[in-house]
Amino acid sequence: MAEMLDQDRERYRGWDSRLQPAWFSIWPIATTGAKLVLRRKLFWLLLGLTLINFLFLFATIYLKAQIRIENPALTRFVDQVLKSVSGTGETFRDFMAAQGTVTMLMLAFGGEVLVGNDYRHGGLTYYLSRRIGRRHYLLGKLLAIAMLVALTTTLPALVLYVEYGLLTDSIVYFQENAGILLGILGYGLLMATALSLVLFAMAAWLQRTVPLVMGWACLFVLLPAVGAILRNVYDDRSWHLLSFWRDIRLLGSWCFGAVPQRDAPLMPGAVAVVAIVCAAALLASIPRVRAFRVVR
Amino acid sequence: MPALFELVSVTHRYGRHTALYDVSLTVRCGAMGLVGQNGAGKSTLIHLLLGLIRPTAGAVKTLSHEPGEEATSFRGSVGFMAERESLLPGLKGIEYVALAGRLSGMPRRDAQRRAHETLFYLGLEESRYRAVEHYSVGMKQRLKLAAALVHDPDLLLLDEPTAGLDPDGRAAMLDVLAALAARPGKSLVLSTHLLSDVERICEEAIFLDRGRVVAVGPIGPMRTASVGAYRLRWRGDAAGMLAGLRDRGVEVHASTRPGEARVVVHRDWAPRDFFAAAREANVLLTGLDREEEDLEDVYRRLIGVGARSGGGRNG
Repeated sequence: MAEMLDQDRERYRGWDSRLQPAWFSIWPIATTGAKLVLRRKLFWLLLGLTLINFLFLFATIYLKAQIRIENPALTRFVDQVLKSVSGTGETFRDFMAAQGTVTMLMLAFGGEVLVGNDYRHGGLTYYLSRRIGRRHYLLGKLLAIAMLVALTTTLPALVLYVEYGLLTDSIVYFQENAGILLGILGYGLLMATALSLVLFAMAAWLQRTVPLVMGWACLFVLLPAVGAILRNVYDDRSWHLLSFWRDIRLLGSWCFGAVPQRDAPLMPGAVAVVAIVCAAALLASIPRVRAFRVVR
Repeated sequence: MPALFELVSVTHRYGRHTALYDVSLTVRCGAMGLVGQNGAGKSTLIHLLLGLIRPTAGAVKTLSHEPGEEATSFRGSVGFMAERESLLPGLKGIEYVALAGRLSGMPRRDAQRRAHETLFYLGLEESRYRAVEHYSVGMKQRLKLAAALVHDPDLLLLDEPTAGLDPDGRAAMLDVLAALAARPGKSLVLSTHLLSDVERICEEAIFLDRGRVVAVGPIGPMRTASVGAYRLRWRGDAAGMLAGLRDRGVEVHASTRPGEARVVVHRDWAPRDFFAAAREANVLLTGLDREEEDLEDVYRRLIGVGARSGGGRNG
């Protein structure tokens, strides 16, 4: 080996060029994080699940369009049967919420790879000893999680929106339903922000998959179940606010302009819960972004 | 010549534990060893130089920058090899090094090209497409060095680079470090508790003991400033001569070999005094070799631990 190194050393060359600003590092941090998750087989299994839902809806929209063209008499019947695929805000909201459920599972299992390993294998020192600050690292990791969320929720919803428009009234559909596009982007942004903040905080503290899944389950399964029980016991719908996922969905409904009448009074509470959880997650994350472990 | 780094009355505490006490240093360019036992404050000093932590008191400047304030600008000129694993499982070697380049501010293509070059230079070209978690200890060390070197920094901070390496791997790593230390205009700080590594690579050293700097400067003069130690050999019975030497304040450490002893003399002692003592005791001296201190002796002397007793290396 020494001989090999002797030969190689002669090939060493310096490098001198203008360095890019630290903000440019956010993108490689994000793409590296996403790449690490994409390399896991479990991710592809869960992505397959989201694809099934997407392909089902994609095919249904196509089928409806074909029936409308080939047999207009059946249009009304088909619309009745496939009410949920109507191209309205509710269609896309429900689709994104359903996709989000699988996305949550994906994140629970991907948190260790995305963030936890940086703590367990000293990756944080690797990142923070370079020409970046803590905020660049944090933003890069949040962007990685947000990209995964967008990949399974916002992106397919946008594809379906375009498909629906192209197969129905084209320009007229897009003109009359521009709000849906904003709704998709708004709900997507909301899910990406909330989930990335919560996942980062949990993964930074819990690090390993098993505790992470348990913590995730407490937030997204146990708390909503407790909320549902208390709602029945006290006959007060406000207890539903304990369900973080339901709160996000409620805000998503607002993005689509489709808040159910009975949930409208819960809106301010949902906004408060989502804001508090996100702020708490951010505050919990900041002290964890340190480059070293103290050895005494 | 600008200072490589400068510390003015730097103290750093972790809660109640003080890792560095009132350290003041100015270090010029070159290869500098940072020597001390575990817990001496070496890693804390390196973290301060990198701006990963801020001093509890005092001021730090690295390459004329204040690391805490200007971390994102000056670290483009610094490469750091951490003592801990600091790997990203799941990444391939080439990706790991290229990412380090991009995080150091290199454009994507340059980072990619330099990553290949650096891995080639360090002899990892065959394994660059393997996942980093499958690397051996020696390969991991070289990979970490490649990540520190990819952007061709002016200053390399190496924290225990030979830790965990087998003798061959250690020798190879030291060869590389010696070559890196010889790069014109580039500097290197080698933090280690292995004094022979510092002796091999560095011209100067900082000795730390329990958070304090006990000595700093060129290694050569530190050795020559040693207390005189000699290897004395004779023929016959020398009990009288050795007793006479002891009476004159000379430390005598018996050797495992017959007819030989290691002696440590005081400042006013001259070599001819040995012959005078031998003459008085009717003993024939057959050898008198001045024992040169190695860095370990220097270190032990500086931190106040007794020098190694006879039966030592020069026998």
